[in-house]
Amino acid sequence: MNVLQVKNLTKKFGRFTAVNDVSFSLKEGEILGLLGPNGAGKTTTIDMLLGLIKPTAGSISIFGQPFEENRSEILKQMNFSAAYVNLPWRLKVWENLYTFARLYEVDDFPQKVDRLLSEFKIKDLKDRMTDSLSSGQLTRLYLCKAFVNDPRLLLLDEPTAFLDPDVADLTRKYIVDKVKRTKSSVLFTSHNMAEITEICDRVIFLNRGKIIAHDTPAGLAKKIKFCRVRLLFTADKKKINPFLKEYEYNFSWHDQELVVELKEENVGQLLGRLSLARLKYSQITIEKPTLEDFFLEVIRSKNE
Amino acid sequence: MNSKRIFAMVLRHLYVWPKSPERFMWTFGWPLFGLILWGLTISFLQNNSSSSFSFVTFIIGGIIFWEMVVQPQREISINFIEEMWNKNFLNIFSSPLTNGEYLTALVIIGIFKMLATIVTLTVGAILLYQFNIFSTFGFFIPILFINLLLFGMVLGFVVNALILRFGWSIQEMAWAIVAIIQPLSCVLYPLASLPSWTQRISLMLPSTYVFEEMRRVMSSGVVDIKNIMISFLMNVVYLFLSLVFFKIMFEQARIHGRLVKLS
Repeated sequence: MNVLQVKNLTKKFGRFTAVNDVSFSLKEGEILGLLGPNGAGKTTTIDMLLGLIKPTAGSISIFGQPFEENRSEILKQMNFSAAYVNLPWRLKVWENLYTFARLYEVDDFPQKVDRLLSEFKIKDLKDRMTDSLSSGQLTRLYLCKAFVNDPRLLLLDEPTAFLDPDVADLTRKYIVDKVKRTKSSVLFTSHNMAEITEICDRVIFLNRGKIIAHDTPAGLAKKIKFCRVRLLFTADKKKINPFLKEYEYNFSWHDQELVVELKEENVGQLLGRLSLARLKYSQITIEKPTLEDFFLEVIRSKNE
Repeated sequence: MNSKRIFAMVLRHLYVWPKSPERFMWTFGWPLFGLILWGLTISFLQNNSSSSFSFVTFIIGGIIFWEMVVQPQREISINFIEEMWNKNFLNIFSSPLTNGEYLTALVIIGIFKMLATIVTLTVGAILLYQFNIFSTFGFFIPILFINLLLFGMVLGFVVNALILRFGWSIQEMAWAIVAIIQPLSCVLYPLASLPSWTQRISLMLPSTYVFEEMRRVMSSGVVDIKNIMISFLMNVVYLFLSLVFFKIMFEQARIHGRLVKLS
């Protein structure tokens, strides 16, 4: 069942088109990544899904109902957290969470808040003023707010931006576990490609307001036909460079490490040629393309 | 309208109150200083005047009743701006809270703080000047109160709508609007003392009729119900228009992306 259905969504600010005819859906229990460079239209899309920006054209249907006509009822079952949105800083941690629990009409919220604070390992901060928290502690507080109503649909805009690697890891695991347990759905944006690869079932790639790719993280990475071969040489670079230039390889040096970018099917040929030329290496690593390679490839090709 | 969500927003602002010294000053400190400053000044002038007319009670009455406009307007506008300062705007407006519930919560906080101010000023006026608004105005207080409260709400909603339209650059209006309106409302002097062209503007303000009637009660113990009705009808019309204005500006802010930029 589709929790979210977006059809031909468009947002224009004057002559500038921020989101251009975007259509996608999100299933129950799915984590969908929204990926793209700055200004791609990710945040504008999320703001439209929250009713903060009115679309110029297109439709948004959430839980099978038109969003605009059922805004309050739908938002009760959704929640949101973003790196650029704060909570009132002159309230205590519990005061902030109680306020939002009441706004989302959560039953037994004192127990719920205690449990969330424990799960995000900030229970000792319950009576602290919000303005006394570090950025990592604040991010965890915002995530507690985002989970306070057990949302069926959660929109997370770069939620781990200010977190230490260990807390970011805890957060990702929490999100994945929560989705598995409750069959909730998550729309997730991040600039961290490894994070997107780790937790998202599917990824939508936006650029200049348009969807330019839509696949699983592995599927998108597979669209890149090049791989990277790293070879560690002890011999002088000057002896190796003529060989690389003769065969017109795309290469770079990092101290004694040679990095060659080439099509996956040509790796064997490279190794054979090195052997014939008696160029010995002490270590070899073959790197498959990642989501980040896809991201960079798309951005470079679009900018050219 | 969902009372739980309204209660949540009322509590959210009441949580802040004890932690904000400046909010205490706005509710208790500055109104009391005004009462002392004006009261002593007018007392001095009265004592050095041959007139038997009691200027002090007119001025003190005006100061106390004017707070019935100031406090609701300020609470409606500043609590709205506070969500911008806190970057909490998007959390509030992406929650199930409706605009009607939000504005209702702001009005409730405004009434609560206005009552706190009025009680403080009433006690201050009794202790300092032996002036008791309850014995002076009696049953007329609710009639005057409701009209001034409605006008304070109108000003608060208009300021909030202007902030949605013009953003941070106009936030000063949250403090300035009552300072602009006060001289035209004839709070401390009769309408007749204004130039004739200014009187025409003053007569478009519901507050002017209330303060004229306040002085009539103090001098003759009666009110002209016609003036009170004009004030009330004006307030009803202005309240409706201010809510429509707020709704239009809110929708425009959503269309042009200004709502997101305010956070």
